[in-house]
Amino acid sequence: MLAFESVVKQFGKVRAVDDLSFEVGKGEIFALLGPNGAGKTSTVRMIMQIMAPDSGSITFHPSLRIGEKVDRTKLGYLPEERGLYQDTPILKTLVYLATLRGLDASVAASRASGWLERFGILDRKNEKVSTLSKGNQQKVQFIASILHQPDFAILDEPFSGFDPLNQERISDVIRELRDGGMTILLSAHQMQLVENIADRVLMINHGKEMISGTLNEIRKSTISGQKLMITYHGEVNEELLQQSDDVRSSTLTADGEWEIYLSENDSLNEALQVLLKAGSVASLRTTEVNLHEIFIESFKEGGTAHE
Amino acid sequence: MNKSLKDVWNVTKWEFTRFFKWQDMIKGTLFMLGFALIGGLFGYWVATDTITIPEIAVHEYGSFSKEEFQSETFRFIDRSGEPMDVLAEDLAAGELDGILTIATTDSAAIRMQSERGWVGSLRGFLSELRTEQKLQEFHIDPSVYSEIEERIVLHTGFESGSASSSADKWVAGIAIFLVLTAVFIGFGYQFTTITGEKQMRITEQVVSAIHPQTWIDGKILGISGIGLTYVLYYGALGILSTAALVHYAGAPFGQALALISPGLLVVFLLLFVLGVLMINSFLAGMAATIDDPNTSQKAGWMMLPIFPVVFSIFTIFNPDGFAIKLLGIFPLTSYAVLPARMVLTQVAWWEPVVALILLAATAWLFRKWAGKIFATGMMMYGKEPTFKEMIYWFRKS
Repeated sequence: MLAFESVVKQFGKVRAVDDLSFEVGKGEIFALLGPNGAGKTSTVRMIMQIMAPDSGSITFHPSLRIGEKVDRTKLGYLPEERGLYQDTPILKTLVYLATLRGLDASVAASRASGWLERFGILDRKNEKVSTLSKGNQQKVQFIASILHQPDFAILDEPFSGFDPLNQERISDVIRELRDGGMTILLSAHQMQLVENIADRVLMINHGKEMISGTLNEIRKSTISGQKLMITYHGEVNEELLQQSDDVRSSTLTADGEWEIYLSENDSLNEALQVLLKAGSVASLRTTEVNLHEIFIESFKEGGTAHE
Repeated sequence: MNKSLKDVWNVTKWEFTRFFKWQDMIKGTLFMLGFALIGGLFGYWVATDTITIPEIAVHEYGSFSKEEFQSETFRFIDRSGEPMDVLAEDLAAGELDGILTIATTDSAAIRMQSERGWVGSLRGFLSELRTEQKLQEFHIDPSVYSEIEERIVLHTGFESGSASSSADKWVAGIAIFLVLTAVFIGFGYQFTTITGEKQMRITEQVVSAIHPQTWIDGKILGISGIGLTYVLYYGALGILSTAALVHYAGAPFGQALALISPGLLVVFLLLFVLGVLMINSFLAGMAATIDDPNTSQKAGWMMLPIFPVVFSIFTIFNPDGFAIKLLGIFPLTSYAVLPARMVLTQVAWWEPVVALILLAATAWLFRKWAGKIFATGMMMYGKEPTFKEMIYWFRKS
C-alpha cells in the first residue's frame, strides 16, 4: 500500500527522518515504534502529506491514488496532536469530519451512530463534545479516523488516553478492521498491545531504522529470543554470571528471580553449566522475550541503526 | 460538484452554522428592543422630571429691578432683605433650588446644592436682561438691533447637480456603518475560529483530509456569510425602524430612500461583498499566524481593516477631494469610500468599474496569500512566523 524510500526530513539542525525506507503491505497491521523524538510523528505526517520530505520518495498503491495525486478519501488519520470542536454536538462533529473525507452526510450519520453505540456513548450524541470525559473524547476521535472506512488508516498513538479495558476494546476494533481488509499503520508505546495485534514492526531511532520484521524475525535478530528465569537457594556468585561470555546479561528482579539473557549463537547447555556453577538452583524456566524487553534492550544504550 | 468545491461548501456550511444561530439573533433583537424601551421610558422620566420649575431666591438684584424677574421657566422669589445664612439653610433643607446674587450687569452668582441642568437657561435669561439694559443705555432701538443680528441667506448650488443634503449624509453614514459592522464581525469570528482550532489541536485532522486552501476558502466564505447576513438583517431592521419613526415624526423618509437608485444598490452590494471577502481573507491569514491569542503581538494587526472605514468618514465632509477620489478606487479603501461618494456626489462611470476590478483582483490575491500563510502558520506550534516570512509568502502568492 505504501513504499517509503530513502526519505529524509530535516528541521534546522535536527534530522528527524534520516534515509528511512520501509513498505507497508495490503491488509496488514504495521507498527512503527521508537522512543520519544525518534521521528515517528514526522514519518506519519509525511505519509499524510501534511509535510513534504526533503528528499526520497513516498509512493502510494495505485488504489490510493487518482492519477498522480493521493486520494485523501481513501486515507484515515488519527493524529498524535488531537483535538475536537468542543462547542459542537458529537454526532454533528463526526458527520462533518466524515464529509471532508468524502462520505455522504446521511451515511456518515448512520455509521457514526453505530460506532457510538458500540463505544457506549450513543445516548450522548447530541451533547457538546466538551461534556465528554477525556477518554470518551478519544473514542470520538478514533471513530472520526475510521468512519469513512478508509483503505489505509494511519493511527498515531491510538491507545493513549484509554484505560486498560478500552485499550483492549480498541485493539479488538483494529484487528477487526484489518480482518475487514483495511491496512493499518500505527505508532504506539504500549508494547504489549502492539505485540498482540501487529503483523510487522519497524523500530526507529534518530530517524533511522533499528530493527524491522515480524515479531519472530525481530526476536531472532535482537537478543536471540532466549531468556531464562532462575531462582537460587542461598548465595549466588554474581561475579561469575556477569563475567561469563555465555550470559549476555543477568538482572535480579524484585521477586528474587534472576532474569538471564543468553548470548547470541550460544547453546543452552553451555549457558546452563555457568548458571549451575553460580549457585544452587531452586527453579528454572524458559520464557520468550517480549516486545517491551526488545524495545528496552534496543534503546537503553541509545541504540544505533542497523546498516 | 467536484470534490474540492464540495469541500469548500462543507466547510462554509460548517463555519456558518457553527457561529450563526437564528435564535440568538432574534434574542439579540428582542434584547435591543427591550433595551430601547427601557431607555425611552428612562428618557421620558428624566424629561418630565426636569419640567418642575426651579425656585430661585434672588438675594441681590444689582442694577436690575425686581419687576424684570418674570419668567415661565423659573420662579424667582424676592429674598433681598434676608441674611445669606437664612437662605443657605432653606437651600440645604430643599425649600429653594438656588440663591441668585447679581453683583453688576456683567457678573452674577448662583448657589445650588449641586450641578443643575437649568443653569444654562438661567444664563440665557440673565443675558437677555443685560441686552435690554444695554440697548437702553446706548439708546438703540430693539428693532434696529434685531436687524443687525439678522444673518445673510446663502443658497448652495452644485455643478454636479446633486446637493448633498442631510438625507444624503445619513445614507452615506449608514453605508459606512454597515461596512464597519461586517469588519467587526469578521474580526471576531475569524479570530475565534482560527486561533481556537489551533489551540484545540484540530488542524492536523482537517489538513490531512482537505487542502489548506480549500479549508481557508470555506472559512472566508462562511464567516463572510455571517457578516453579510447580520448586516442585511440589521440593515433591514434599521430601515423598518426608521420608516416607523419617520411615519410618526413626519420626516421626509421618502427623500432618503429616493437617493438609493437600483444602480447604486448593485454597485454597493458588489463592493460590499468583495470588500468583506478581502477583509476576511486578510483576517484569516493573520489569525493563522497567531500561536497564543493571549500573548501574541499580531492580534493588533487584525484591527488594520478598520482604518479604511475610518478614511471613508472623511468622504462625508469633502466627497470631491482628490484624495477621496483616489481612495474611492484604491482597493483597500474603495469598498467603504466609493458607496459614500456615490450617494454624496456624481462619480464618473469608469470609477465603479475600475474599483470593482481592482477590488476583485486584490481579494483574490489576499485569498491566495491567506492560503499560503494558513498552510504553514496553522501547523506552527509554539512559535509564530516572522513578518519577513509573511512577506515572502505574499510575494509567492
